[in-house]
Amino acid sequence: MAEAIYDGLGAVLTRWTMGMAAAPAASMWRDELGAEPAEAELRLLALSSQFLGVVVTAEPPVDLRVLSDIAALALPTVPDATRALVRRNLTTMKDARLRNEMLRFLTTRGWTVHPGDWMPVASDEETPDVYAPWRDWTEMAASAGAAGTRMPDVLSAENWADYWPAVRKAALANLRIRDPDAARVLLEAKLADMGAEERLRLLGLLAIKLSNADAVFLGSLAAADRAPKVRGLAASLLSRLGYGATAGEDVAELARFFEVKSKGLLRRTQVLVAQTLKTPAQAARRRVLFANAEVAAFAAALQVPLDDLPAIWNWGEDLLADVEFVSMVERSGSDPLIAALLDTLERKDVREIQVLFALRSRLDPARRVELAYRALRGGESFQTALRIAGGCGRIDGAIDMRAGVTLTGSLGEAEGGKPAELAAELQALGLIASRTAAIHAMERLGTAGLLRADPRLDMLRLNAALDDSGVKE
Amino acid sequence: MSIDLKAVEQLATDQSSLKAAAGLAKPAKWSGVGTSRDGALVWGECSGSGANPYRVMADLRDLGNKCTCPSRKFPCKHVLGLLWLNAEEIVPFVPADTPDWVSDWLGRRRPGGGKPKPADDVPVAAKDVHAAQVALPDDAEDPKAAARREAASAKRAEDTERTILDALDALEQWIGDQLRMGLPPFIDDATARCRRIAARLVDGKAGTLAGRIDELPGRLLALPAGDRPRAAVVELGKLVLLARAFRATPRDAEIRRAVATAEARETVLAHPDALRVSARWEVLAEQVQTRRDGLVSQTSWLLNLGATGPRFAMLLDFFPASVGRRGSVFTPGERFQGELVFYPAQRPLRALLVQRAAAEAATAPEWPAPDNALTDALSEPLLAEPWTLEVPLLLPAGRIALDSAGHAWWRSADGSTILPVAGDTEGLWRGTDLMQAAAIWSGSRLTFLAAQSRWGRIGDG
Repeated sequence: MAEAIYDGLGAVLTRWTMGMAAAPAASMWRDELGAEPAEAELRLLALSSQFLGVVVTAEPPVDLRVLSDIAALALPTVPDATRALVRRNLTTMKDARLRNEMLRFLTTRGWTVHPGDWMPVASDEETPDVYAPWRDWTEMAASAGAAGTRMPDVLSAENWADYWPAVRKAALANLRIRDPDAARVLLEAKLADMGAEERLRLLGLLAIKLSNADAVFLGSLAAADRAPKVRGLAASLLSRLGYGATAGEDVAELARFFEVKSKGLLRRTQVLVAQTLKTPAQAARRRVLFANAEVAAFAAALQVPLDDLPAIWNWGEDLLADVEFVSMVERSGSDPLIAALLDTLERKDVREIQVLFALRSRLDPARRVELAYRALRGGESFQTALRIAGGCGRIDGAIDMRAGVTLTGSLGEAEGGKPAELAAELQALGLIASRTAAIHAMERLGTAGLLRADPRLDMLRLNAALDDSGVKE
Repeated sequence: MSIDLKAVEQLATDQSSLKAAAGLAKPAKWSGVGTSRDGALVWGECSGSGANPYRVMADLRDLGNKCTCPSRKFPCKHVLGLLWLNAEEIVPFVPADTPDWVSDWLGRRRPGGGKPKPADDVPVAAKDVHAAQVALPDDAEDPKAAARREAASAKRAEDTERTILDALDALEQWIGDQLRMGLPPFIDDATARCRRIAARLVDGKAGTLAGRIDELPGRLLALPAGDRPRAAVVELGKLVLLARAFRATPRDAEIRRAVATAEARETVLAHPDALRVSARWEVLAEQVQTRRDGLVSQTSWLLNLGATGPRFAMLLDFFPASVGRRGSVFTPGERFQGELVFYPAQRPLRALLVQRAAAEAATAPEWPAPDNALTDALSEPLLAEPWTLEVPLLLPAGRIALDSAGHAWWRSADGSTILPVAGDTEGLWRGTDLMQAAAIWSGSRLTFLAAQSRWGRIGDG
């Protein structure tokens, strides 16, 4: 019966589509529709409606595709009780940089976000590697691929193609940490088959445990890779190993922006002084030259021993030059040169955030935390400390430092002062403080007049609520 | 009875309200702060910019509240401030007799809610005075006047009914016209055409039906173009069925609710046949929709975790869009023990919350098993009330699958049922088995409210 009605409805719908009376075509309901034409149309409409609504559902296509399971990550998701707080913080942190600091904070503490609350997209390169399987899953979901994502036990040339890009990169990074030579050999075997962007991404991993054993491979890339960016990265990595390029015309031009002078009573101390820039064009030119130069070549052009360069640099006179110089060292300096630079900065008490921040990528997490402590002790804000250390969640006694005193002192006037600044400081404090420090800060801020439920305390509240089960560095 | 800070935050319409409330949560701003002896009511007077302090009151049982300030935000910063004071115990809330202004407000918002029942230790004399007031004889009324009033009331009801029937005649004529002019032009011009007949229905005192027709184009346009003619037939046919049902039983409260207007809260609460259910409920989801008539509808879907009573409850609230976003007293996923009164219906669904205990977080999946064969669950409500637009369902184990165009389908674990899915099912929804799911079936699409999975609960909140 239902089949007959269904077949009959085809003609009915066609007639209504054309604006024709359909009742004459509905033989299956002739008795129910009656003789009056207008009434018959309405009755037919009511009967058709109920039949279509109750009996007929859309025919599913035959090619339905089920996506693979979203993989469990290497770290557990946050406890259910804190999920609401995580969601609220993620909502507040519109800025991707800040959101990534929060993800780093959670990872440091040994947790990950629940996938029902947030998932990365494939292009979220800055998210911690622990989320790599989810990045691959979203890429796989958007494509026609149906393969699952998983973390390989050991990445090899044989299983290389079994993995999606984000997981593969994370696996290669792990391999580089455990067995640097094996990682390089694998990369040598596979690099030629990749696109330029992926070559660039993976080559960057050689910065981990970089050694002389990598020099030949890097040399070949620096000389002959198809992509200029890859050649540049290979050259800067080579430079970190001391295989600097010879000083070319550009480096010589850069050196002319500086002058080695003697100072002191007996004129035995050398100092590298920046020439005063007279026009914005000169400043722009110097910036470009610094961005492309390698520190070894720069030292050679100045005829100064490379290791002496940090010590004779005239710190604090030209902040732009300081930042450009440190950026050049960060990109192309060897590990010993970085250590010497850090010693010099500490000895000469250089605290400028831009200078410290330019070095960030060459420092291990413990060293960054140490620098953040130093900045806080020097009176810098929590936001500055966050920029240096990232969402480390490990700084004790933060609220007792000068930034904390400033923060609690400003609470009374903050409502009429700079509320956005206050909120940003509280958020930064929540990201850098250890759990004990977060609990202590909540108490102090409560005493100073901030309500416990104030939404600006959300990050601190999350920090205080979250067990620290992460790896201590 | 107490309120926690989370509930205060959820009540706030926006961050600025919460911040303004924080500024008011100081003892110096408040006077006359108190609470009823059972702890259910709190009140206080807050100094503002006017000559007199604002009177602020709240019922902690359902977080109903009132303030005498002119703010258009609801709740205003003063109410939030008062609740904050109470939650944080910033000032002592001394149990005291309820002030008249609180009692008056309470009396207006629910029958019998005037002055709270006096505690056992209240002096008898006070009880006597109150009892004497309540016991004023009403048999002194003139029987003729009462009869006149009843007759006038009956006449009004009859006039209203006639007006509605006339409007329904116009509706049926309009539907016939749409068929005569063809379905494609109707779909293309649905917004304007529906607007016109909706206006006619508003004039004809069929306000609920007018709202439904106003939203019809939105429902059609949400579907793929190929599905719209069929959906238009279904929607228009349901209107015919509803109009016929009204003609047959114009005094039926349920049908009248679908056409004209819903009963007042007080009427439902006082109705002898209204179903009262005390159970543990889980808040499945909250749907907020700005309608074309300028109202915002706020629908909270609750799942009955107990063994008896209706499986689902729908709390429906409307407020003007001009008020701005309004906070909810619920967080999706939270569970609470509460008493609901259902609007009388064949299949009770819409309800009022009359009692609510403190919230608890949802933990392990404790949802009841679906008790019907899925095909029956999909069709029974539509057979009983053919004009129904939405049917809440508990789905058995299943999973989302995608077709070649990227559209989502729900497929039961045993493969016997495959249904198209409406709305957003990104991320985890697509990447895990759904052990159970709560969804709304529109007759053509499923809209998910929440689900249980090996990752725990999925859904907003």
